[in-house]
Amino acid sequence: MDSLNVKKFLKFAGVLVILSELAAVVTGPPGNPTHPWVGFKGSIADPTSLLGLFTTSRGIVFLVYGVLVALIGYLLKTKNKFVIKSQELQRTVSSNKAFRIVFFSALGVLVVLLPTIVKDAFWQNAMVSQIAIFVLLALGLNVVTGFAGLLDLGFVAFYAVGAYATAWCTGALPLPALFGMHLNTFYAIPVAIALAMVSGVILGIPTLRLRGDYLAIVTLGFGEIITVFANNLNGVTGGAMGTAQVPHFSIHLGPIKYNWGIPPVPYYYLTIVFVGIFMIAFSLLEHSRVGRAWTAIREDEVAAESVGINPLKYKVLAFAIGAASAGFAGVMTAAQTNYVSPATFTLGLSINVLVLVIFGGMGSIIGVVFGAVVIQTVTMYLIHNPPAGYQPQDLYMYIGLLLVVMMIFRPAGMIPSRRRTRTHAPSASGQE
Amino acid sequence: MENLFDVTDVSLRFGGVVSLSNVSMFQKRGEILAVIGPNGAGKTSLFNSLTGVYQPQEGTILFNPKDKPQLSIIGKKPFTVSDSGIARTFQASRMFNALTTFENVKIGAESHKGIGVLGAMFRGPATRRDEHTSDEHTWSLLEFVGLKDRANVIASALSYGERRRLEIARGLATNPEVLLLDEPAAGTNPSEKNDLAILIRKVRDEMGVSILLIEHDMKLVMSLAERLYVLNFGSVIAEGTPDEIRSNQNVIDAYLGTASEEETDNA
Repeated sequence: MDSLNVKKFLKFAGVLVILSELAAVVTGPPGNPTHPWVGFKGSIADPTSLLGLFTTSRGIVFLVYGVLVALIGYLLKTKNKFVIKSQELQRTVSSNKAFRIVFFSALGVLVVLLPTIVKDAFWQNAMVSQIAIFVLLALGLNVVTGFAGLLDLGFVAFYAVGAYATAWCTGALPLPALFGMHLNTFYAIPVAIALAMVSGVILGIPTLRLRGDYLAIVTLGFGEIITVFANNLNGVTGGAMGTAQVPHFSIHLGPIKYNWGIPPVPYYYLTIVFVGIFMIAFSLLEHSRVGRAWTAIREDEVAAESVGINPLKYKVLAFAIGAASAGFAGVMTAAQTNYVSPATFTLGLSINVLVLVIFGGMGSIIGVVFGAVVIQTVTMYLIHNPPAGYQPQDLYMYIGLLLVVMMIFRPAGMIPSRRRTRTHAPSASGQE
Repeated sequence: MENLFDVTDVSLRFGGVVSLSNVSMFQKRGEILAVIGPNGAGKTSLFNSLTGVYQPQEGTILFNPKDKPQLSIIGKKPFTVSDSGIARTFQASRMFNALTTFENVKIGAESHKGIGVLGAMFRGPATRRDEHTSDEHTWSLLEFVGLKDRANVIASALSYGERRRLEIARGLATNPEVLLLDEPAAGTNPSEKNDLAILIRKVRDEMGVSILLIEHDMKLVMSLAERLYVLNFGSVIAEGTPDEIRSNQNVIDAYLGTASEEETDNA
């Protein structure tokens, strides 16, 4: 038994060492036409510091990294197995309820106090525009991909619909403003969410009859169509320039007057309120009849139909509900930056959101929030204080590497959904 | 009294392959009816046609539920068919593997109650009452099929026999008038087979649900079924009581084989 574990570990470590040596070559110095091997040799032989302890050749440094990651991953994996075993027979929801309440209230307090702890202007802005917004997007995509099991590669379309709807309501587009007047940005929230949901239904009804790969391709197309429309319908969307006239939020309710201006902190609070609302709403949905129907469709569509579940209806519902939080993210982006342009809504962004969901744990609300916060924070950190040798265009290579490692060690994500981990559990109590 | 099922001249083709040709059959209310035949005879195709999974090109399938209007099944979707009171199990068990036994059955119990997103989100009193009745219904069915102590086990951890019973409970949860069982005894051991036969008879006697059964285990079929149809190459070649079928020369040639052959084999 032990020798088997050692063998397994060596296999994992081998894969990781190969991957990390590949990373060493890719990130090393460039070659040149006269000496094509210079880059390769330099990648392996150049002196580099190992975790700041001592200096040795790059090849060895990356080898050590590979082994370290393998070790950490292996420990996490074996620990995870143990957790699954203990969960197999009994759900442990009630037993650690007190712990969960304490943990989440502490987390809540931290989130509320965060802007007073982090005073740096860059980070305060990043917390809203790069972290909280992406949490919203990841929450929405999690409903579609995690709960209902539909791979959506054009999720950014709903984000775009939300942002353009906001611009439309507030009269920032060349179009005549919606309802014939320039509305306060707050009124744009329900309109944008409703329009995003409607576009989810419009996209969903014809396409959700498709399954798997076909659906992914069609959603990819939908995402591109929205971008092309935004770029070219000059008279409607303002074309490639977009619009920079979306007003900030403001409240004028009798004696209460407040304007959200340039500083990001008020937006932060507004966004986390909505993040909280979406988290609670989606979690209630997950554990309701609707969530169970989604899981049933994801697990076996034919069997789900045979017990009376209409798959198309529930899939369209998942699209519409997922689109709602993306639509709201669109409102926040438009209102905070005053600016809506097609350049924001790229395929890369759709993929980025999907990475957050996969990393955090498909189908796990806490997981995707964690995934979005961690990956976006690391990304922002790399942009803000790039370490020596880091180049911005390398970011997606590292993220790709991270995903490869994840698929080996924690295929269900960092904080897996209970419903998804259970599928991986071996058969219980020696029944077979 | 009208029949539960009236199947008239149903033909099903996939391209040039004829799966069912001019199949006519009926089932009386409350009957345990079996369909037997060699592999590839079209038994499962018939089931899929009866539940809306396949759409036969010719013929009519009429279903007469007790309190609901008559339904012409061809052209209907499986979930509509399920709504009207037809439940089924599958040849290879199809469960929702990521969910517990309890949740599997509960999905059947609540699927006919409409969507209610807002109700699900806000948990109003009506929703909670609904959940409560679904829970009660689920518990009573788990007790009925003998899976009560396995309620919180994930479905993929159940044994074959338990999976079969889970599928039966999930089907019964939709409050059907007829339960279609596709080879329920496949992969079960003799004692599980025996329990299954008792359970199937109990479903009919205590719940008043008619049974339509596909099965290869002749001992089980002959002891359970009140009437049988025999399919071969997509056509009905015989119909009758177990005794009639056993002595029908066509059936013996196509499927059962002769007793003397078996004896020679055993000797």
